[in-house]
Amino acid sequence: MTGRSDGMTGRADEPGEADRLPGLENRLFDIPEDKFIEVVRLLERVRDHPEVRQTFAAIRPRLVQVRPNRRPTLKRVLCMPFEDVLESASGVDVPLGRIERRVIDPLWRLVTECGDRALIDQLDRQVQETAPGNLNALRNVGRRLWPMAAQALRGAVGGAGETDTGRQALWRAMLGDEEMRRQLLDVAAFLEIGLTVESLKDSLAPKPLAALDDPHVDAIEQAVQAVARQSAGLVYYLLLVAASRMANPADLLTVLNELDFGKARREQPVIFAQLSGLVVTNLEERSARLDGAGYSAGPGGAAVAIAPEEAIAIAERLIASIDTTSAVMDVLADPLYRERLDAVKLSVRSMVSGTVLDTAPAGILTAVPAPAANGRPAPVNEDAQAAAEDHARALRRCEGLAGALGLHEPLKDAMASMEKGLMARAQALLAHYPKAAGDPDDAETAEMNLFYALRLLELVAGPAKADRLRTAIMAATGEFAEE
Amino acid sequence: MLKGAIEYAPSTFEERGAAVAFTTPLLSQTRVRRGERSKLEVLIPSLSQGMGIYVVAWKSVPDMVSMTMHDRYLHDLIVKEEACSPYEIRRATLKAARRGLAGPKAAQAARRALDEDDEQSTLTHYLLILSILKAVGLESPEMLKAGIDTDEGQRLTRQLMTRAAESLRMDATLLYARLADIAAVTAPVGLAHSPRPGRLTRGLNDLKGFRDGMIDWAREVPSDAAPVAEFCAEVAQHTIAIGEKVLGDFHRRIEAIGPLMRDWDDAFIRVRSQAARMAWLLDGWSHITGAWEVAQAEDRHQQAATVNDLFRILPLLPRRESSRDFVEDSKQVKLAHRRSVRMLEDWRTGQMDIDAIRRIEAVKARAP
Repeated sequence: MTGRSDGMTGRADEPGEADRLPGLENRLFDIPEDKFIEVVRLLERVRDHPEVRQTFAAIRPRLVQVRPNRRPTLKRVLCMPFEDVLESASGVDVPLGRIERRVIDPLWRLVTECGDRALIDQLDRQVQETAPGNLNALRNVGRRLWPMAAQALRGAVGGAGETDTGRQALWRAMLGDEEMRRQLLDVAAFLEIGLTVESLKDSLAPKPLAALDDPHVDAIEQAVQAVARQSAGLVYYLLLVAASRMANPADLLTVLNELDFGKARREQPVIFAQLSGLVVTNLEERSARLDGAGYSAGPGGAAVAIAPEEAIAIAERLIASIDTTSAVMDVLADPLYRERLDAVKLSVRSMVSGTVLDTAPAGILTAVPAPAANGRPAPVNEDAQAAAEDHARALRRCEGLAGALGLHEPLKDAMASMEKGLMARAQALLAHYPKAAGDPDDAETAEMNLFYALRLLELVAGPAKADRLRTAIMAATGEFAEE
Repeated sequence: MLKGAIEYAPSTFEERGAAVAFTTPLLSQTRVRRGERSKLEVLIPSLSQGMGIYVVAWKSVPDMVSMTMHDRYLHDLIVKEEACSPYEIRRATLKAARRGLAGPKAAQAARRALDEDDEQSTLTHYLLILSILKAVGLESPEMLKAGIDTDEGQRLTRQLMTRAAESLRMDATLLYARLADIAAVTAPVGLAHSPRPGRLTRGLNDLKGFRDGMIDWAREVPSDAAPVAEFCAEVAQHTIAIGEKVLGDFHRRIEAIGPLMRDWDDAFIRVRSQAARMAWLLDGWSHITGAWEVAQAEDRHQQAATVNDLFRILPLLPRRESSRDFVEDSKQVKLAHRRSVRMLEDWRTGQMDIDAIRRIEAVKARAP
């Protein structure tokens, strides 16, 4: 947990949560979807209030999930061409060539202060009259806003040495932040191709695309050619948007060399190398967020525990990307890339070991209670059971990754030890069952504990091995015995 | 014992069999029925993605398919209880899930469903008493005020019911016995004016939601699965149309409780068979509507796979129940469907697909 010290609330030493609308964001995760959308609409009316902005940041995961038609604002229209590469609020996945959210406010200030004020006012009124969800109307606003904003940005950031005092003052505010400057120039590039990006988004929907089919590839090719007619240097940015709309961005590399880049044909090898380098860097960045102990550093540096199943899902995505990238990189025959990819694989391996294998005894075995000394069965804990089942499933899913990560032996050992441990604990419960059998409630509790242990064994060791325990349980309870 | 693949065109509900909510993917929603010499048998559709259906003696299923622990328990329970009507199969399924063998969430859902059944039964009983009293002009504000669960309320109820029996010219014990019979038949369907619709009425409403969902999905997501979704919507619509007619007729007969009591022998048989028909009509649909709800949180590729999965287990109406031959029509859809079907686990090696099992258990936790 990190402390926030923006001075706005005067509680710099308190954890971040303390100064938001108290408890609201937690409740916003639980309420029904229609209520959630209603609250979001209300909050949007006062969204410039700092506490409301904090609340929006906190509830972003649900906003992403529910995607309510937000009230359109000119600022949001400005962000449309690069919204796919905006850094997500949480998790290990980072979009290729990402733009950080902290860039949005300085960007907006630069555009409003250096851009065409009359046009901005006119477009702002137009947006206010637009109904939420009317994408065409917003794109019509964008058609006029984006080129103007790109020009203003390039003027302010690219020409920082000019005598315009307003621009200098603004630039001073960001002085020394080279990363911010780079990202603002990237934004200018996205804005310049705004309309092509928007139509490509329609062709590459819904996001994320699981696979690139022929119509997708055709759409990318046409968009590349359109952008190449504008400027060959902008093709790279268009491809970043295409990659970010895919479940596995590295898949784009596999079709890239088959595309006809039109007027950017000469730059094609450079763009390919640029994009592949970025894919590898991106994999490194994503793996750097895994530290092996089951934690990932979130965007704000916050430590977030990764559940075993989530860890496996992350590992599966990363390994798929590494495999695709390796196959493509063979064309470049660059040993350096191979080493970098191997390093990424190693950090994935240690993350999987740390979150799924090493924690298996605590995560799975402890859900089966030990028999109590007083002969009464331990109460059933269904939350612990659910967590243990998730862990057991993660362990089984590891089988698919064990080859790629060199985890065959450790996984085999973990599975064998879980099977043995579960069997021992189940046998202990079985031995104590007759003591509970006299009282119907106790008997039911004891049987639930046995059945839950049986389920864990089934998940870990498969039905054939579990069936022996099932037969023993049924013999002890006599439930289906012939009368 | 495997009899080999047969052409599947049942003419009655009983011949079609009742769907069993197994968690083994290959057995999910397979149907059980009473076959030759009253022995239970199970109908397993397209074991190898082919056409037709396999008829297997119930007792030999565990030897043929590697089953989950939940399914072995449920299998034994069905053998023990000789269950094969939708009602009996549902009770057995809830009992198995309550034991925790389909996971904690399914266990909680099963406990809730069993409690709801009890509550619905009490509520229906109470509402039927009120309706009998109303039919003979004995409405009593005092009784309503006292409530049926108080001693005073029960004393007043007994008093009024004795008078109602006199007015209907029958013995009070007989009136109570008939009331219990009607309540048992009515509770799953629910009364028209009940504050909480019965389970089967809710099922019919869910089916309408499913039909609309399929139509919208087929329109919004052009894919191989779109014609499959359209077919699912058509089968649902046909079932809804029949269901609404049966439900309307059932409610009309129960409303006329006086004539029902008087003309008991014929009238009760009719009411009971209508309730049974509702149960058969909706049998197998709750898993389908629940699975579609679960799929709402997934991406469109997963949804397409779900549509294909659901097609495989769609409760097609038997020939005698419908003017349209859906079995024949489904063959046209199958051509498109076979290209994009989600592979079931390899039933020969017995390797379990834990993701597929989990999806089925998630549906059980939602629609027990």
